[in-house]
Amino acid sequence: MEYAVEMRHIRKQFRTVVANDDVSLAVRPGTVHAVIGENGAGKTTLMNILYGLYLPDAGQILIDGKERHLRSATDAISCGIGMVHQHFMLIPRLSVADNVVLGSEPKKGLRYDRQAAAEAVARVCREYGLSIDPKRPVREISLGMQQRVEIVKMLYRGANIIILDEPTAVLTPQEIDELGRTLSQLKKRGKTILIITHKLEEVMDFSDDITVLRNGRHVVTVPKAETDIPSLTAYMVGRDIHLGGQKQETHFQGSVLEMQNVSYRRDGREVLKDISLTVRKGEILGIAGIDGSGQTELTELIAGVLPCDRGSVLYQGEDVTRRSIAQRKATGIAFIPQDRHKHGLILDFSVEENLLLGMQRKSQFIRRRFLQDRKAIHQMAENSIQDFDIRPADSANKASALSGGNQQKVIVAREVGNQPTLIVADQPTRGVDIGAIESIHDILVRHRNVGGAVVLASLELDEVMMLSDRIAVMYDGRIVGILSAAEATREKIGLMMVGRVSETEVPQ
Amino acid sequence: MKNRTKSPASGRTVTRQQVVNLIVPFLLIFLSFLLSSVWIVMMGKNPVEAFAVLFKGAFGSSANLVGTIKKSVPIAFCTFAIIVSMKGNAFNIGAEGQFAFGAIGATLAGNLIQGLPSPLCIALCMLAGALFGMLFGLFPTIMHRSHGVDLLVIFLLMNNVAEYFLQYFVLDLFKSENALVPSSRPIQPAAELPYLLGPPYRMTIAILFVLVCAVVLSWFFNKTVAGYEMRAVGQNRDAAFYAGIPTGRYTSMALLISCALAGIGGSLEVLGNYHCLYTEISPGFGYDGIPIALLCDANPLLAVIGSISFGALRNGSLSLQAKMGLSSEIVSVIQGSLILVIASNYFIRYLLNRRKRG
Repeated sequence: MEYAVEMRHIRKQFRTVVANDDVSLAVRPGTVHAVIGENGAGKTTLMNILYGLYLPDAGQILIDGKERHLRSATDAISCGIGMVHQHFMLIPRLSVADNVVLGSEPKKGLRYDRQAAAEAVARVCREYGLSIDPKRPVREISLGMQQRVEIVKMLYRGANIIILDEPTAVLTPQEIDELGRTLSQLKKRGKTILIITHKLEEVMDFSDDITVLRNGRHVVTVPKAETDIPSLTAYMVGRDIHLGGQKQETHFQGSVLEMQNVSYRRDGREVLKDISLTVRKGEILGIAGIDGSGQTELTELIAGVLPCDRGSVLYQGEDVTRRSIAQRKATGIAFIPQDRHKHGLILDFSVEENLLLGMQRKSQFIRRRFLQDRKAIHQMAENSIQDFDIRPADSANKASALSGGNQQKVIVAREVGNQPTLIVADQPTRGVDIGAIESIHDILVRHRNVGGAVVLASLELDEVMMLSDRIAVMYDGRIVGILSAAEATREKIGLMMVGRVSETEVPQ
Repeated sequence: MKNRTKSPASGRTVTRQQVVNLIVPFLLIFLSFLLSSVWIVMMGKNPVEAFAVLFKGAFGSSANLVGTIKKSVPIAFCTFAIIVSMKGNAFNIGAEGQFAFGAIGATLAGNLIQGLPSPLCIALCMLAGALFGMLFGLFPTIMHRSHGVDLLVIFLLMNNVAEYFLQYFVLDLFKSENALVPSSRPIQPAAELPYLLGPPYRMTIAILFVLVCAVVLSWFFNKTVAGYEMRAVGQNRDAAFYAGIPTGRYTSMALLISCALAGIGGSLEVLGNYHCLYTEISPGFGYDGIPIALLCDANPLLAVIGSISFGALRNGSLSLQAKMGLSSEIVSVIQGSLILVIASNYFIRYLLNRRKRG
């Protein structure tokens, strides 16, 4: 059989980094083929090679059975390949039709024939059953529709092979369903589609065949029907993945943190309203809620980043309401902030310097009262890199050169390495790959098992329910109720998240 | 950049980024020369010849070399001032004013302190220069810290205050009654810096202070805990704050040290070169420090090289005027174009980095 796309033994090296090593890929015509892998597995590089953005160091590319040398995106387009990037490349002020034809406009004499453009675009949309109004300016349409505009752009240029890079990253659940329908329409018309993603649910929904890459190498290509999510995960990571850590029965007495009637105002508005809660030894207290319900402020207030306007915070029986960030850190409160680039790391600093951040005044890192003990710091960094499997294992590397998961590991290593009593984590697994999620879950649960306390705020309900011993649900700056893990259900939490408490009868 | 993160192995080889970082400053300087050539051609002169004369005037003879080094001393201290402020997440554009006040302080101390051994006297005069510079920067620093007043605006305004106060000081308050050129009263001989090279060169030990200062600053930033914390504040104020570092205190501290360094620069001009104060004590040294600090990426050791280059420009421009009849202001044009190309730095880096896409 002739393949629509065949890539043979592709190799691509960036300096010392081999992004693709002997990768082969064969895509049957008229199918949806997913290319999956963790961050940094080499999938985007492979697709950029197919789209002519990178030249491979070795290997062949065959399009419809003929060997092609793709030296630029223009070459790729002339071979019928189109790519929709993760970040759309549309001009907001121009209409949909103008955006679609941009670069190959229909002309009437020397003038741009706007009418013909609108008709041509409408024709393409009708043919593929895509609902777009060609005359609307792009700035007025939703992200899901913008994505369809990008697809139409490719179809208008005669693309038979369409590459979608992380197509669902910016879409709502409804828009993702719509994308699924679009893809099956395209398939019916004989188009071949390549999707790059790391979301396995979508892979199972959309695709016919699946290729898994790991560390720049081809692992396996399987038809969807012959596989499932757990085995795909195992292919991606190279081993079995177990999220949620290993919770053990704990019997610790007493509380670590008590908040009493705490309020916080910002710009005259109460962002935290009358918060009272207790975190016990040996438990993970989950904080659930829709985005912006005050979870971030709550964690920042516990860490001392935000001041307390009213009420008090007791930590291990002591009033710490007025204590500084540094004082709280020194007494064992660790904080993993939500925005790791802005608040957690100094991207221009090395991994070593980042691992030291906030710990630089600890006695073991200081010589003669004001000098840094380089040796001790370097030793600590090497240990952390090893213990937390930070890659690449180079303490002199800049933090900006690390993948999201590894950057997060640097923060976690730093905070947990300080032997804290209480870990406050705000969305610690957001945007990191599954291997890193597993190890972060593991670390939090282990901390709990030995009698430490954890406050975990997360927008992922599954994560909160999997890890927490108790779940506090926030709505509009308030804690509307605290559920034990046993009584918590998705439905109950879901209702509380939108402020409907009376229907759930929550005990405090 | 993204692709660089893709494999677990990364050697300690020289990265392309490091090479780019090294090439860019020279490329920028070359571009600014190219730009200035356009002006020289428009004035009807041969730019290649002009630059040759400029170079000879700066380094051509031992006397010229000494002149260049002399000029680089005040520039270096102003550059240090800018660098320290940058490390503390602020920008001291008021070095010109603090430089003038440092000179005033040194003149006062040098004139009034009597009967002390020379080294002690010099030390006190430099201390006075540092203090005057710092005090002059105190008001803007406080206003910035407590009221969030924009540093750029207030420092620029303060530069005017310094300029006019300097005139008042030299022409009236502390004027010399029997000098041919309007100047302040002279300092005591004990306050004059000793020569490293005697007449006819008259090179004082001031350049040694530059070297010591560069080493001390470099040591402070790289080896001390406070230096680490200050750099953290400079690189990412928010992350430093979240890590429990008192960011406001560090910014204020950096600014005050910065002002003191500019003040020391002013004091060395008085103690080393003029032995009294003129209204034209600074032809804009405080502003020279800005492009140098940016070019050398706030590295104090590289700043010494940068300052000597700028000193060379200033010194060489004198022979440009004498030998080619070109206005010495052409050096301002070179510096101006340098600032222009620094502003386009990011564009140049983009072009250099783009080529890595095989």
